[in-house]
Amino acid sequence: MTEAVVVDRQFDDPLQQRKASDLGMWVFLATEILFLGAMFVAYTASRIHHPEAFAIASRLTNLTLGSINTGVLLTSSLMMALSVRSTKLGLRTASIVFLLATAVLGLAFLGIKFTEYYLDWRDHLVPVIDFAHRGPHAGEIETFFYLYFFMTGVHSIHLFIGIVMVLVLAWMAWRRHYSPDYFTPVELGGLYWHLVDIVWIFLYPLLYLVSRT
Amino acid sequence: MSTLMLPVRGNYLDEGFSLWSWLSSVDHKRIAILYTISITMFFFVGGVAASLIRLNLVTPTGDFVSAETYNKLFTMHGVIMVWFFLIPSIPSTLGNFLVPLMIGARDMAFPRLNLASWYLYIGGGLFTVGALIAGGVDTGWTFYTPYSTMFSNTHVIAAAAGVFIVGFSSILTGINFIVTIHKMRAPGMTWFRLPLFIWSMYATAIIFVLATPVLAMTLFLLAIERFAGVGVFDPALGGDPLLFQHLFWFYSHPAVYVMILPAMGVASEIITCFARKNVFAYRSMAFAVLAIAVIGFLVWGHHMFVAGTSVYSSIVFSILSFLVAIPSAIKVFNWTATLYKGSIHFEAPMLYLLGFVGLFTVGGMTGLFLASLALDVHLHDTYFVIAHFHYIMVGGSVMAFLGAIHFWWPKITGRMYSDRWARFAAIVVFIGFNLTFFPQFVLGYLGMPRRYHEYPPEFQVLNVLSSAGASVLAVGYLLPLLYLLWSLKYGPRATANPWGATGLEWQTSSPPPVDNFASIPIVTAPPYQYEPPEGPHPNPSAGQKGEGSEGAVGARDGLS
Amino acid sequence: MITHPVPAIRTYVLVWVGLIVLLLLTLGSAFIPLGWGNAAINLAIAVAKSLLVIFFYMHLRSAHYVLRIAATAGFFWLAILLGLSLTDFVTRY
Repeated sequence: MTEAVVVDRQFDDPLQQRKASDLGMWVFLATEILFLGAMFVAYTASRIHHPEAFAIASRLTNLTLGSINTGVLLTSSLMMALSVRSTKLGLRTASIVFLLATAVLGLAFLGIKFTEYYLDWRDHLVPVIDFAHRGPHAGEIETFFYLYFFMTGVHSIHLFIGIVMVLVLAWMAWRRHYSPDYFTPVELGGLYWHLVDIVWIFLYPLLYLVSRT
Repeated sequence: MSTLMLPVRGNYLDEGFSLWSWLSSVDHKRIAILYTISITMFFFVGGVAASLIRLNLVTPTGDFVSAETYNKLFTMHGVIMVWFFLIPSIPSTLGNFLVPLMIGARDMAFPRLNLASWYLYIGGGLFTVGALIAGGVDTGWTFYTPYSTMFSNTHVIAAAAGVFIVGFSSILTGINFIVTIHKMRAPGMTWFRLPLFIWSMYATAIIFVLATPVLAMTLFLLAIERFAGVGVFDPALGGDPLLFQHLFWFYSHPAVYVMILPAMGVASEIITCFARKNVFAYRSMAFAVLAIAVIGFLVWGHHMFVAGTSVYSSIVFSILSFLVAIPSAIKVFNWTATLYKGSIHFEAPMLYLLGFVGLFTVGGMTGLFLASLALDVHLHDTYFVIAHFHYIMVGGSVMAFLGAIHFWWPKITGRMYSDRWARFAAIVVFIGFNLTFFPQFVLGYLGMPRRYHEYPPEFQVLNVLSSAGASVLAVGYLLPLLYLLWSLKYGPRATANPWGATGLEWQTSSPPPVDNFASIPIVTAPPYQYEPPEGPHPNPSAGQKGEGSEGAVGARDGLS
Repeated sequence: MITHPVPAIRTYVLVWVGLIVLLLLTLGSAFIPLGWGNAAINLAIAVAKSLLVIFFYMHLRSAHYVLRIAATAGFFWLAILLGLSLTDFVTRY
């Protein structure tokens, strides 16, 4: 057993505290859905206005790296879910290993993503900094790539926060902070990680698969 | 009686007197006070801008300030009043103070988050004030693109950053309210035993958490577009300026309901108390609040009828806009029915709230003019719109805020103010308000557009009336500041329940102890107990709830 | 010590297999010319993947109904934002 569960003075018991934290996290996730959702609305409006440009531009993205990255992120979600399960069962070592695996896969995702950014830069596809695409719809293609960098950038920031969070969780798990009586931070961290994953699940077809035929 | 039953621990005001004891306190009551002081300061900053606007409009030739300064003044007035006063006003001050007290909890679910939200508010405020001092912003509070992204030479990004930050303060408050109301209620406090103020806070919190993030993302996109010259809003870049307006009003129209729903909650508490009669049709009041919060999300397009949206879209939004009148009307009818055959007492809080009901009704009805497609073409961007939303926001929200401050002042500070002065101030505010804004309905209908620093000479008489009213209104706002501050030192001590009101917050001492209740009350009855269960004979102790809780039950002296 | 009912590892792995299969499906279908059907399939698969993650990895399948309402509210309000602004974007011309 680890240290006793600390209940803040406003709560009656650990169960009330845990339920409050769970609900707080889900409400926070709802705000995240709206926050990130707004950029999907901006994407939708732009795509409706410029369907041809979006089709051309999407073919310029790196499908191989994007698809591999999707697999990496989905696997990281599996690792995260397994670490939450291990924590609940009190399997400390397994929980730490799965948390570290989650963080490593998250870092791998960012590494691949930034490789992609580098390749885009080499192909002169970075709006404002170096955008040299010519031909019809050049302006609208730049808008697509602005959205591409903006949306994947916002996603990467969220993922980076998630990686830091997972590493802190692993450290705390190593310090024996969690037990079957108290695992709320790991559980909530998992929820955040999965939401960031879901964002990518939608980004992938909208950015990479607009028109591949 | 109440002196014998003082709880063991001291009241929250005596827990520490240093500045740091306030700035580091996670007690929801102290955070409420921090918010009250901050929003009052912002209110007077925004008020100074309004006074300068009205001063300039005394003459048709705009003699007082230049057109550029005028633009910056109305932007400053709008930004500060909307985001730094009206939106946090009742939720962050009275909501913070009352939510745990009314539901019988020791504190919010997340006290540290609560304090963080105040710091975010101050941080956002400093950013925005910095932008305003550094030279101002001239886009109007709506930051419409492409003006804000391409053409304005003012500090748009800094001001938007301030609003972005203060938005997260709203979100944190909203999360806290939702979780607290769901998970922290005292034993026996079922959903339909919640005071209507709590229902209104819940509805407000829903809007906070679901609308504010969209504004945050929109301002983020705006700042990048302005900074980098690439984006999705400017038509010159292949963007769609209406996209900005859709996203902006998806937040900003529900934000209007953030301003009015808390006021409705306050009205329900105060009118039932001073009519000595249970609120009429409690459940329909609770559902109406939720309905307004939800339908309020479906109507934003009525801000864009003449902006170039499709006719089909306009028709949809027009119909949906009319729908929101139904729950609003239910509330007004129910307040009226509560007054009917009540034993009405005209103390200061009641005067403010009676003013609220009338002014809100005028504001709401004129809103229907603007929701009608054809009429809006005539009225859009005129002073009619200005008058309409000031009837809601000033006549509605600010009146209710003042009424609420007067009603709960004894509970918050433990002091009574001079009711004579307070009633006088309430009447001055009511007269000043109507004198300021009623002429603007006429001006708008006659065709005077908003946001111009000059106007044709034939509008001068009405503008002078309006400016005269603004000075009366300014006096009406300064008076409470003076006599309420005076009462802090010289006012007589307040009893636990000076108004003879029912509700858990009146059963603990004034000011409440640190953890609110000597022991958590057990609730056995609905919130309003102003009538005996049967028969017309008023019996103040009938059905009082929480009698099982020792210590915290205060004396029911005062009006009853 | 409290014991918590947790799903078997097998469940988590099967969900992962499902997610990868859906990923390959969406990738493969993108190369079959279906016109607007491509976008529809992509979106349907994205929704299916999200539901898998939400129900199994985020445990909404067995969560308290208030948590389900909170999650649904987020997506529902996003649908309001998208749906009502589309009334304008798709009918403007």
